[in-house]
Amino acid sequence: MILDRKTMPGLALESKIDIIHAQEHSLPNGIPLYYVNAGTQDVIKIELVYRAGSREQDVPLVAGSTNAMLEEGTKKHSSEEIASLLDYYGSFLETSVQQDYASVTLYTLGKHLDKALPILEELIKEPSFPQNELEIYLHNNKQRFLVDEQKERVVAAKNFPSLLFGDSHPYGHKTRLEEYDGVKKEYLEAFHKKYYSAGNCAIIASGRVNEKLLNQIGDYFGKDSTDKSAAFTNRDYALHSATQKINFISSPKKDSVQSAIRMGRVLFHKTHTDAIPFQILNTILGGYFGSRLMSNIREDKGYTYGISSSVVFLQHAGYFNIGSEVGSAVCDAAVIEIYKELDRLCKEPVPADELQLVKNYLRGNFMRSMDGPFALADRFKHIWLHNMDYSYYEKYVDALSTITSKELMEIANKYLQKDSIYELVVGTKK
Amino acid sequence: MIDFERFTLANGLKVIVHRDTSTPMACVNILYDVGARDEDPEKTGFAHLFEHLMFGGSVNIPEYDTPLQIAGGENNAFTSNDITNYYLTLPAVNLEVAFWLESDRMLSLAFSEKSLEVQRNVVIEEFKQSYLNQPYGDIWLEIPKLAYKVHPYLWPTIGKNIDHIKYAVMDDVKAFFKKFYCPNNAILCVTGNVTVEQVKTLCEKWFAPIPMGNPPKRNLPVEPTQMEPRKLELERDVPASAIYKMYHMGKRVDKSFYTMELMADILTDGNASRLYVELVKNQKLFSEINAFTYESIDPGVFIVTGKLLDGITLERADAAIQKELAKLTVAEVQKDELEKAKNKTEAQHIFAEISILNKAMNLSFFELLGDAQNANKEVEKFFSVSEKDMLNEAINVLKETNCSTLYYRSNQKS
Repeated sequence: MILDRKTMPGLALESKIDIIHAQEHSLPNGIPLYYVNAGTQDVIKIELVYRAGSREQDVPLVAGSTNAMLEEGTKKHSSEEIASLLDYYGSFLETSVQQDYASVTLYTLGKHLDKALPILEELIKEPSFPQNELEIYLHNNKQRFLVDEQKERVVAAKNFPSLLFGDSHPYGHKTRLEEYDGVKKEYLEAFHKKYYSAGNCAIIASGRVNEKLLNQIGDYFGKDSTDKSAAFTNRDYALHSATQKINFISSPKKDSVQSAIRMGRVLFHKTHTDAIPFQILNTILGGYFGSRLMSNIREDKGYTYGISSSVVFLQHAGYFNIGSEVGSAVCDAAVIEIYKELDRLCKEPVPADELQLVKNYLRGNFMRSMDGPFALADRFKHIWLHNMDYSYYEKYVDALSTITSKELMEIANKYLQKDSIYELVVGTKK
Repeated sequence: MIDFERFTLANGLKVIVHRDTSTPMACVNILYDVGARDEDPEKTGFAHLFEHLMFGGSVNIPEYDTPLQIAGGENNAFTSNDITNYYLTLPAVNLEVAFWLESDRMLSLAFSEKSLEVQRNVVIEEFKQSYLNQPYGDIWLEIPKLAYKVHPYLWPTIGKNIDHIKYAVMDDVKAFFKKFYCPNNAILCVTGNVTVEQVKTLCEKWFAPIPMGNPPKRNLPVEPTQMEPRKLELERDVPASAIYKMYHMGKRVDKSFYTMELMADILTDGNASRLYVELVKNQKLFSEINAFTYESIDPGVFIVTGKLLDGITLERADAAIQKELAKLTVAEVQKDELEKAKNKTEAQHIFAEISILNKAMNLSFFELLGDAQNANKEVEKFFSVSEKDMLNEAINVLKETNCSTLYYRSNQKS
């Protein structure tokens, strides 16, 4: 028998995707502890999440500095001692800050958990924000800032949210060099006191989680009073979008050979009924390797090494943006092609085979994104942060079977009309 | 511990299977034993350009990505100085699609002129994006040729210069394929929710009919021992000066590799590391400092690099690094300092084994080095390094006569 190499082997019928749910367990003081017990390795990830993102800060950079400085010294141990202890037990920390929340994550082997937990407790509850370490942190970040300012891509990424939201908006503020000089130890202490409290905390644990682990977490984090929940400042989330849709910033370098492009607009929250269809539409446009932007601008024209579009959901808004770095000489042509692709989504229904491909791809991608204990914990976090439950993922999987080209075209017309799109180019004017 | 089975097809294709039923996915990794070190010195960057062309359609399948995406899969690839590695993950129920796609492009490519033309441009944009338009980007074009004079590690994977890519022609592409892309020059590893029987059946069906090739026996020039310090100075429009110091060390399979990896950890990994504490925090000479090894199969380099703070001269920064490194050549490292580095390494290995993709890449790579079973012996090898080994290796490696130093001077500062 001659092997048929031309025909694709048959696909398995769509099987149901099992979504493993995080379980909830309350600590004695009421801190919610969510956990996913899964995986084959003796590893544990414990993430402490606080509503302590950059939107809460009154002084720029304070939220990020507070978060980063947690591992730089406590009342009992220096930065070096903390790192030594964790290193010795093969454990590591990750601190991160987004607009809406901040987190401190401990990764450890199950066998070393009892050594690592007290250190985590100490740096959450008793950070000392030492002056010397703070100065080094600010100074070194200032230098990184200057290096970043030389990159078209970074300049575009920093300026784009401020076009969409306005520089005074909690999501739109663009960091300036001099702001590093305005960060003071006492601001960090105050921010920490206000936002890193038990009443403002949730814990997500994943990996090989057992009863003992839940009790251990309770021993370290379940005793402090949660009465005093953080008093959140009322922020003004009104948009102050730029009046000019088309924007240009000169390249920071004399001999620049590429320009950075950002295009997009403000959207809605993740809870909005259009959120799921828009994500599918975004995938078709620029959300995977075979997307229209990649096929046209990279694979057909060779203008770029990469181009993509993405949707960002924050608690008080969402936005959509396209990003690429393209050869300076072809920048204008690339922008024209991007508008063409947006227009095509508005005017022509997505062909059936392309839609089917994207649905299948997204199903596979969804399975990948649910693979392994840490991934499952992340999936939980992403709904929990938006006060949603697992029915969101059920709806999502459902939409991957049912959504039609007609619905997608309606969404495109609603959100991707040319006159609603902000455009930013960082490069050289011809 | 990664359990696996292995077999070889009659055409020489080596196959490794690791079953992990905790996931609904499968991963297929194919490693081709060809990297930038195998290139013609007049046609560099070719292995990497070729990797791009592997996505431009094969003899029976006009497009690679589309069917894979229909099957819910995702893929990528990378080229290093040593290897070209292709990988994909997809729902395990659709495993056969991966075999269909990968076997067809091992059989033969479509060799489309359009694909060549476009990918040449894409790679040129990649060259610009990563090396020319990035502050400090051209360092990686400059420093390999300082450390290597004859061994092909002297050029970077992207190629010596854009012209080598610009003038690549279809005949080169065809010759390269014929030479290196054959079953007996590849290792296939399948991990995830699969069975050995299933993989055997699929291999017989899709890969066994591909004829054996005749890959050249590798015979690369050996880099002569460096006898004198080497220096290069560049001046660029960047906000801060930087220093790079590269020391010759052993091969990936040598004890030297494990020793120097631990050395790198002790020097710059984390807030308690020697150079961070001494040069970043105490003396405040650098904003950042890093030490690492090239994980290269042939004798590699150990690199120490830092970005200088304002007002610090390159000469002073260089002397400070040398002074710290010299400490490793006169006294053994502390017992707990070494233990710490080992424990950390062990944890990193265990964490990496969560992913079926990491496992597949690892098994393939160690099979290439001689035996996939060695993927399970890495931690043991790190633990076998003693304080005395560290001292001896530091004496061998960390000396100026074995070092190439780059001063990358900022012209924005005095």
